[in-house]
Amino acid sequence: MNALEISSITFSYGLLPGKTIPEESAYALHDFFLSVADGQMHALLGPNGAGKTTLMRIITGQLRVMSGNVAIYGNVMPNQDALRSIGYAPQPISLYTTLTAMENLRFFGTMAGLQAREINDRSEKILEETGLSSYALKYVNTYSGGMLRRLNLAVALLHSPKLLLLDEPTVGVDPQSRHHIYETLSKLNAEGMTILLCTHIMDEAQRLCSRVTLVDKGSAIFNGNMNEIDNLEKFFLEKTGRGLRDE
Amino acid sequence: MTSKGNFISRQLKELIRKELLILLRDRQTILLLFLMPVALIFFLSLAIKGVYTDKITGRQIQLVLENESGSPKALLLEEKIKSNKLIMLIERPPGMDNDRIFEHGKAQAVIFIPKGFDDGTKPVEIQFDPVLDTGYKIAMRSLLTSLTVEVVMDIDNLEAVVSNFLVEKTKPNREFPSPLQQSVPAYAIFAMFFIAVPMSIGFLKEKNDGTLQRVFTYPVNAKMIALGKVIPYYLINLIQFVLMLLVGVYLMPKIVGMPFHLGEHPWYLIPVTVIVAAAATGFGVGVAALARTSEQSSTLAATGAILMGVFGGIMVPHVVMPLVMKKLAMISPMYWAHQAYLDIFLRDAAFGTILPKLIVLTLFSGICFYIAGRRIKWI
Repeated sequence: MNALEISSITFSYGLLPGKTIPEESAYALHDFFLSVADGQMHALLGPNGAGKTTLMRIITGQLRVMSGNVAIYGNVMPNQDALRSIGYAPQPISLYTTLTAMENLRFFGTMAGLQAREINDRSEKILEETGLSSYALKYVNTYSGGMLRRLNLAVALLHSPKLLLLDEPTVGVDPQSRHHIYETLSKLNAEGMTILLCTHIMDEAQRLCSRVTLVDKGSAIFNGNMNEIDNLEKFFLEKTGRGLRDE
Repeated sequence: MTSKGNFISRQLKELIRKELLILLRDRQTILLLFLMPVALIFFLSLAIKGVYTDKITGRQIQLVLENESGSPKALLLEEKIKSNKLIMLIERPPGMDNDRIFEHGKAQAVIFIPKGFDDGTKPVEIQFDPVLDTGYKIAMRSLLTSLTVEVVMDIDNLEAVVSNFLVEKTKPNREFPSPLQQSVPAYAIFAMFFIAVPMSIGFLKEKNDGTLQRVFTYPVNAKMIALGKVIPYYLINLIQFVLMLLVGVYLMPKIVGMPFHLGEHPWYLIPVTVIVAAAATGFGVGVAALARTSEQSSTLAATGAILMGVFGGIMVPHVVMPLVMKKLAMISPMYWAHQAYLDIFLRDAAFGTILPKLIVLTLFSGICFYIAGRRIKWI
């Protein structure tokens, strides 16, 4: 069973389900397919406005598709079991800044269905793994950019998800924090966690991932093994063009 | 409770806890919700105290009395004036003529009893401050006339003589609240409706920074998230009212020098406050659903609360408004809330009298929640 199976999904902002419009360009995602095998680290690349974040929001149940299916370990969305098996670290730092790290973890851990004791045990471990143990009781609004990214990741990992969705997890962080995050992700993948990594950093994708999907204008234009591509950036520009994407 | 029930209960408690932590750590919001109404109660009770005493209890007239005649009748008149409860005798300030006394606000009237008063050759002279309320002038003139008649006609108490011919049948005051009866519930209600400001801003902040979207990626439904937002603010509303009531009962009487009674049926405060808090929270939810930006929400919430307060008899007592404004007041939920509290504090009304106001407030909160449910965009 694949960790993630996306079949022929179509989505447009502002259009009600069941309605269609003739122009494909009006859709954020059109007839989109994607499969992520269990245990894989899979890169999702694409220019700005390609539909990557929309895809992430669909997978995590924030948006409903107009047609097609999204299945997580066989559970077709929307599904509460499917939601329990995913961890999501969004691109904006989505944390409560006037709470401490522990309070954030407690909150999101409870939302994930963890018991109090589990939350305490898991929080200690996660904070240790992300290098934030010493800052557990400090308010999040005192954190540096790198610390915020690591805590953002820690929240996503707290309930030991089977499928981890990361939307640009290292944007705006220093090399030290980035390196720490890469090590954490590699370790988690080696332990069997499936990871879908959405990123603009080609080096990051090429280093960490074994499979890659290229998204452009709402469709998947390439799906293949990373080791078949010599220079990912060059390949990306060849496939998507060099023009600016200001839409 | 089933395992699923436990899970839902834990989620709800955690949603409430998170909201309360964020709210209570926001010092500006705490000042707005708790200190602002205390300050308003304090200052506005003192400001309208004069209106109350003028309208209800009557204030004492400060009077300068000069008795040139030392005759027994003149001395008797002086004694009667001195002992009257509506009059406070003061000494003429040195070097001040009557005009300067009035100009400096030292007294509102000057009485001169001349030599020749006894034999009727010269009358008692009264000079009033030109700006003194006409009603007071007429009342004082009548009072001095009756005291003079008592002295001239050798009557001990004129009121007793006419008591068989004139009796007052005025009903007890049930409409004009005392300063504390007006301002304590008024500004408690105003503060409760002001909860819309932090409520709507907080909701939009969560939408804008992505935390709300993140919560939706967990197995938690929209109704639970909504309850987790509404309940904390509802609880804050209840605490606001209790605190304002305590301020009104224990602190303000020492400052304004007037008591604040809770009426014959203080337990009616419970259902009234429960429903007023629901109306205030409903207003907050409505603003949160309608506003698209933080600027919109703070403007809508604050302006809405102020307008409801102006129309609803909060800033200006309803009883002194012109008739047109009194009718317009009914569009404000704050009017119905305030009148419900006045029913308890001022009118000792039966619950049946209060009930229609509670129905209106319940309808208002129902409409707000309905609109919010239809218009809210979680993501």
